[in-house]
Amino acid sequence: MAEETETQAVAVASPRDSKREAIAFLIGVAGWLVPGLGHAFLKMWGRAVMSFLTVGLLVILGAGMRGNVFTSSANDAFDTLGYLADLGTGTFYLVATKLETSGADVSHAGGDYGTRFLATAGVLNLLTALHAYEAARGRKA
Amino acid sequence: MNAAIEFKLDHLQSMLLFAVLISIAFGFLSRRRPIERVKYIVWSLFLFLLIGVGIGWAMYPFSR
Repeated sequence: MAEETETQAVAVASPRDSKREAIAFLIGVAGWLVPGLGHAFLKMWGRAVMSFLTVGLLVILGAGMRGNVFTSSANDAFDTLGYLADLGTGTFYLVATKLETSGADVSHAGGDYGTRFLATAGVLNLLTALHAYEAARGRKA
Repeated sequence: MNAAIEFKLDHLQSMLLFAVLISIAFGFLSRRRPIERVKYIVWSLFLFLLIGVGIGWAMYPFSR
């Protein structure tokens, strides 16, 4: 009986915990929208600068190599996955579309690499945003 | 109309750039102390290049 009560007490989240969870979620979203912003809020400056620079460089290189910036009008599952990966870059997705004014050219190896660079930038940014979220919850540093 | 910025990189340059950037990102994310980060980055970069070149060589017989 005493054990049951103790378990229930542990299972019920305190208001402080739920507030911390909400803040961690907002930090994760901020990290997704602007690469490195989540870590900057946590005063993890090295990781914040690294996230911003690596994701930014990958997006600039990917768009400059005329990689495919996928849009919401996907033709198949791979296009949809590519769009989701590209969206992972947050606001940098808009930068990629602005940079690549002449469209994708995947007929050359450069364009194909560019597509991978853009997708990797998105996935990497999602990973850093998740890291910031976990750090804000106190699980990882 | 040309792209605002245009890069023309070959396979090796693209692979090198990719490996360097991802290794740095992984090093910073997974380690805290600077010396550990440097070790992780160097090791990760070495493995990226070794596996990349290894897979390239393994595919060579089927390339033509």
